[in-house]
Amino acid sequence: MRRKTLSRKTLIRSAIPVLVIILAAAAFAVFEPIQVLPRIRLAPGYLLTDQSAATLTSEDVRGDIVLYNFGYSGCGEDCAQMNGTMAAIQSRLGEVDVGDTNIRFVTISFDPAQDTPEALAEYANAIGADLDKWTFATAEPGHLENVVKAGFRSYYEDRGDGSFTFDPKFVLVDGWGVIRGEYRYQTQTSDSDKILRHIDILGEEIRNSHGAASLAYEAAHFFLCYP
Amino acid sequence: MNGLLDKAWQRRLAAGLLVALVGVAFAWFFIVPRLRPHIFSGAVIQSTQKAPRLELDVAGGQTVRMTDFEGQVVVVYFGYTFCPDICPATLGKLADAMEILGDRADEVQVMMVSIDPERDTPEMLAEYVTHFHPDFIGVTGDPQTVNRVATLYGVYYEATEGTAETGYTIDHTTTVMLVDKEGFLKLVLLFEGTAAQIAADIEYFL
Repeated sequence: MRRKTLSRKTLIRSAIPVLVIILAAAAFAVFEPIQVLPRIRLAPGYLLTDQSAATLTSEDVRGDIVLYNFGYSGCGEDCAQMNGTMAAIQSRLGEVDVGDTNIRFVTISFDPAQDTPEALAEYANAIGADLDKWTFATAEPGHLENVVKAGFRSYYEDRGDGSFTFDPKFVLVDGWGVIRGEYRYQTQTSDSDKILRHIDILGEEIRNSHGAASLAYEAAHFFLCYP
Repeated sequence: MNGLLDKAWQRRLAAGLLVALVGVAFAWFFIVPRLRPHIFSGAVIQSTQKAPRLELDVAGGQTVRMTDFEGQVVVVYFGYTFCPDICPATLGKLADAMEILGDRADEVQVMMVSIDPERDTPEMLAEYVTHFHPDFIGVTGDPQTVNRVATLYGVYYEATEGTAETGYTIDHTTTVMLVDKEGFLKLVLLFEGTAAQIAADIEYFL
């Protein structure tokens, strides 16, 4: 029986698809796909009173990246880990590059009866918050329900003894007022590492998503290349 | 044969270049614009949940819900009839966008939610918004309901002292929200957008 040998042409033809796949994989590894955070939903609009008795509105932070959390000054140990995460992120902002965009932190208290501006200022001081970047604020109960429960979808309930049952949660909002990240629990990665990585991804999108590159970012959103 | 090419070849080359030039021009003006993805003037949202619920009053003692408009693109704006500047400018721009859309404007419902429920009655709102376009509607409700709806649509508002002529005025968020035909909030537009940009963004969702 005569053995059929592969011709040179056939070999080249079969090698081309393999070569294309190898080149594509190499390009993928070298150039890395664009990563984007999902545009989850609109963050609520709000009118709050901060620790210096000034108003803080959602329009005041338009254009800034804002990390929110929710608590109350009397929550003690229940808020320690959350406040620690906020403080860690605040002190590690040098690790992320968001260009000219401001990064702000807002803690919304759902205990307006106790959390007067003075109480909030004292609380901020006790946990070592940098008030140039970190604001503590609250509002009247009806508006808080709309903002925190319905808008940020963060649960809280007065236990009736001065304490609250609540949902420890961080929410990351971009300059358009769109929620880009919600963090409810700590996974294998610490919350501060994860949130900082997400802020960095957001910063990269803000810095690079202009002109023709914006099409690539829109495509990334379309194909959901979410981290 | 003189030079590199004889005259016949020169003619063929010139004809070839002309055909290539016409081909490139055709592709540039007629094919590329069709292939180019739409660039929105606002921020796109990819929520998997429908737009916040809305149940408010219109003139004639009726109530409207967001679900009443499924099958239409709804453009939602929060303003008030005593508004001295931003609201008329925005509604004027939206009316111009409707003109640009022509017949397709029938698939769009522009709705102004009053953030001044103390002064704006449904009848006042109807008179005000139809001054800009006959198909616009104005809605309102009790202050708690309006606060909830505005908050969930990302809108802040606050009464501030005005003049004796205007009474109090209201500082408020000036964005315009676009809800698609299936009831998903898809786009947030800034006040700075032009009527042409707004029309192009709306048209994308028609």
